[in-house]
Amino acid sequence: MNFTIATTLDEALTALAAGARPVAGGSDLVVGARQGKSPLPESVVAIDRIESLTHLDASTDGLGIGALVTHAQLESDATVVGAYTALADASALVGSPSTRNVGTLGGNVMNASPAMDTGAPLLVFGAEVELRSSAGSRRVGVADLWTGPGRTSAQGDELCTAIHLPSRPAGSGSAYVRLEYRRAMEIAVVGAAASITLAADGAVVSLSVALTAVAPTIIAVGGTDTLAGRQVDDALLADVAALASSQAVPISDLRASERYRRHCVGVMARRAVDAAARRARGESIAVPVNRSLGIGAAS
Amino acid sequence: MTAATKPRFIRADGPDKVTGSGRYTADLTLTGMLAAKFRYADIAHARITKLDVSAARAIPGVMAVLTADDVPDVRFGPFVQDRTLFARDVVRFEGEVIAAVAATTAAIAQRAVDAIVVEFEPLPLVTDLEIGLTADAPLVHADWASYGAAGALVRDRNDASFSSISKGDVDAGLAEADHVITSRYVADGSHAAPIEPRAVVAQWEGNKVTIWTSTQVPFDARAGVCETLELPANRVRIIVPHLGGGFGGKCGFHYEAHIAALAKAAKRPVRLVFSRREEFLAPDRRREGMVIDVTTGVRNDGTITARKAWIAIDNGAYTADSGFFPQLAAMHVSGPYRIPNLYVEAHLVYTNHQPSGSVRAPTAPQSCWAIESHTDEVAAALAMDPVDFRRLNAVDTGVEGPSGQTYGEIGVQQCIEEATKLVGYGRTLPDDEAIGVAIGWWPSFAVPSGAYIKIDGDGSGQIITGAQECGTGSVMTLRQLAADELGMLPEDFQLVYQDTSVAPYDMGATGSQTIFNNGRAVIAAAGQIAEQLKALAAEHLEASPADIVLADGHAHVAGTPSSSVSITELAGIASGGELLIAHGSGTPPSAPPLLGSSCVGDVGMAAFVAPQFSCHAVRLRLDRDTGVVRILEVGAAHDSGTIINETGALGQIQGGVMMGIGQALTEGTLYDDESRQRNPALLEYKLQTCADSPVINTHFVQIATPNAGPHGAKGLAEAPNVATAAAISNALAKLLGRPVRRLPMTAERVWETMSEVDPS
Ligand SMILES: Cc1cc2nc3c(=O)[nH]c(=O)nc-3n(C[C@H](O)[C@H](O)[C@H](O)COP(=O)(O)OP(=O)(O)OC[C@H]3O[C@@H](n4cnc5c(N)ncnc54)[C@H](O)[C@@H]3O)c2cc1C
Repeated sequence: MNFTIATTLDEALTALAAGARPVAGGSDLVVGARQGKSPLPESVVAIDRIESLTHLDASTDGLGIGALVTHAQLESDATVVGAYTALADASALVGSPSTRNVGTLGGNVMNASPAMDTGAPLLVFGAEVELRSSAGSRRVGVADLWTGPGRTSAQGDELCTAIHLPSRPAGSGSAYVRLEYRRAMEIAVVGAAASITLAADGAVVSLSVALTAVAPTIIAVGGTDTLAGRQVDDALLADVAALASSQAVPISDLRASERYRRHCVGVMARRAVDAAARRARGESIAVPVNRSLGIGAAS
Repeated sequence: MTAATKPRFIRADGPDKVTGSGRYTADLTLTGMLAAKFRYADIAHARITKLDVSAARAIPGVMAVLTADDVPDVRFGPFVQDRTLFARDVVRFEGEVIAAVAATTAAIAQRAVDAIVVEFEPLPLVTDLEIGLTADAPLVHADWASYGAAGALVRDRNDASFSSISKGDVDAGLAEADHVITSRYVADGSHAAPIEPRAVVAQWEGNKVTIWTSTQVPFDARAGVCETLELPANRVRIIVPHLGGGFGGKCGFHYEAHIAALAKAAKRPVRLVFSRREEFLAPDRRREGMVIDVTTGVRNDGTITARKAWIAIDNGAYTADSGFFPQLAAMHVSGPYRIPNLYVEAHLVYTNHQPSGSVRAPTAPQSCWAIESHTDEVAAALAMDPVDFRRLNAVDTGVEGPSGQTYGEIGVQQCIEEATKLVGYGRTLPDDEAIGVAIGWWPSFAVPSGAYIKIDGDGSGQIITGAQECGTGSVMTLRQLAADELGMLPEDFQLVYQDTSVAPYDMGATGSQTIFNNGRAVIAAAGQIAEQLKALAAEHLEASPADIVLADGHAHVAGTPSSSVSITELAGIASGGELLIAHGSGTPPSAPPLLGSSCVGDVGMAAFVAPQFSCHAVRLRLDRDTGVVRILEVGAAHDSGTIINETGALGQIQGGVMMGIGQALTEGTLYDDESRQRNPALLEYKLQTCADSPVINTHFVQIATPNAGPHGAKGLAEAPNVATAAAISNALAKLLGRPVRRLPMTAERVWETMSEVDPS
């Protein structure tokens, strides 16, 4: 095995061009290899010392998050918690404190697990990833990035350098909730993120919802545009739950049956929209929603 | 010292473990040491039609490959001699060892394992307990009748051990009842899941072998090596470095002989280190799955007239120490209640699952869960408060229990009062919260045990004990017992332990027995030293030995504290004459009599020596949309006799409760259609984490138990694991309107129960 440590972006891109796979925190790549999921790649380049990928840059266009920003940073960063709260909700649920200290957003995104926690928030925010190779760089929306379990549309020589989130209109709120059987070292049984913008009278201006662990990739819930103009009330929440449950294509596995997942993803979607709307109205619900609103997930 | 000035208990092994300077078995390295790997069956029931290790032997770096042909042809097992070190002809569960390899690196050993050629002819699987007991079920052991077995066991085909308790006339008792309630409960198997996967290192010198191993029972491990490799006890030395937890999973004899045989064949030291996956799949120690059918008759006034029960216990493919499980389960399904007419029968059923063995309070959490859930169903049928029902029907001091034992001073009623008080039972709660209550019991185990004590010339002491520390702190507490006897401080003693060639016999970290039995041995040895010190002091102080008091590191004449000599000085005197060396064992308490009952398959479990009682009250919250349960608060009241080390005792309660919560909600083994475990990994086999822990408040009911251990102590390590799942079930049933009849009561099963759809 060939292992190199890159300290600059160029060194990393050169290594990638020569066939190396990047490792950031290693909490997917190394842990997965130890568990026998897939062996370590023949050639690995460590990117965790590339300083330029560790920053969060807030601007009028939105927020740029360096690929190496960790879950621990995301769950406590004032901009993320304030404007992109669903992402903070998600990062705060990842593994344990030590997982959050080593695990990066770039790693979570590029690992492309259908159960990844930051995926649904990034999708509802319309995030784009910046992919760079020696040949140049391009931006891809996350919906086009994830092509299947563990698969992305990125080329082998492309490094994810940053994740860009568009700016948020006034009156917006967001939330991510997941179904979990224990409160640490857990993986989402199902999850849902919601991003909502409300008019001054409380009517829905826009709403997007995305679902975790109910399809080969994170999926967006279609049809939420038809809810515009309505108030966020029990009827709307019931409609959201029905949309989510009907569009989910879950599998049965050790963690849950298909039937139970389908039911619960509706519950999660409803709770995510409810919490997002409350936040949009200015109510403070501490990160993560799972903890501040009760058992397992919001009540 | 008064309680207020007594320093908090500090574990002697604590600093080593916390700083990392302590050594565990997997940390050991010996010159020339080889790595061991096993070839497992990986098929649950099959005849071996071909086994060829020649390609494996030919790989460079492979120093030994062993199969059944390379070790003595010995069948072993503590209750039924139904197994061999390596599979012979037939494999009966996926984790059965077919061959073992020792090679210069673990990678080479693994390659050799993969190069072993094995061919099978599949045999029909036995996985269902009820089907396994039918007359035409396939046999897990075709030759069962020819196996040697403990005389008391009643065996028949797949029924490896049958036991019953019978008292009064159960049919007449049920006929007398105003209400008859019948329930069925089914518990999945679960795991001990110690944090340290097991490891074994073996090294021969001449015809003697030293084996370092992560066992809870070094003397049992030695006995297993001696039996299977045909060696006398004095040529086998078992040493246990620090043990990374056990919870029963490391009781019994496991892989010590395999590794010793490999080391002998390779003429090099050999080390085995298990992966987490192997720890889940291979050892004959997981908590048994059970099916429990129970019928109880009650009068309108709330008194029980009769109970009838049928129990099937998953033995797995081989009989480890599970031979006594049927009788123990029968006791737990009877429960600590006044039952005039009783008939309980229990079957230990061979299946093609991993073998079951003692995991913390074997059979008790599942049985208690079933019977205490049933008890709440009975109380509900009477429209009676379930706690009042227990006050009325639970046993008490001087009362006859279900098996015909009349109890001396016991504290079950006090436990009910205290546990319910701790959580405020009866108060108004939000409508998604409820409190459930359950009572449980557990025997103390009276067995032989030994220890030596010596005091060297500088006044420092050593306790050389056969007892095994598995993390509970029991062995650590022995220092306190010796110190109290001798007027010294716990820190004045070093412990020498976990070495079978150095210390006398002890049963090991099993059966909550360390303080109960080894405490007795240490106190007896300390008593001999005390006699010696008093004689020396009497001479020195010109007084009678009977008037000498040992306190605060000194010997003084009673009533004349100024006439004193330090123990250090006495030790110095002794080092020039008769040395301060003592040994202790003491006589174990005797088993209480049983009257008016009869037991089939009696292995001595129907009478409980110094029985321990407990009551757990749990407040929880239910997420009605998803079935997710969160435990908010646990009140645990325990009658475990005198509490000798409160810090350690509280740790046992808290750990037992957490383990109980896991068993209740998230821990359970799932099998595929070919009888392979589907979740042998910590992500999918969900233990509770610190983040899940509720507030746990404990009350110890300390009463003077007759026939108990040192200073009136009973056992304590297993009792806290008995009643938690049951109390959780009863809280849940209040919220759901009916119990969840499958253990673990996973979120999905709770949701299924809510949706009135039968769980799959
Ligand atoms: C105990 C534990 C608990 C966990 N809990 C959760 C959880 O609750 N929720 C959750 O979503 N995840 C969880 N994870 C998974 C993991 O921690 C996260 O996905 C984490 O964000 C991965 O980041 P990393 O930097 O460690 O990735 P790495 O392991 O370094 O990399 C993951 C993959 O992405 C690739 N990669 C990494 N960085 C880049 C880059 N910049 N450009 C291109 N490719 C890249 C790697 O080649 C690899 O294929 C858990 C993991 C563990 C071990």
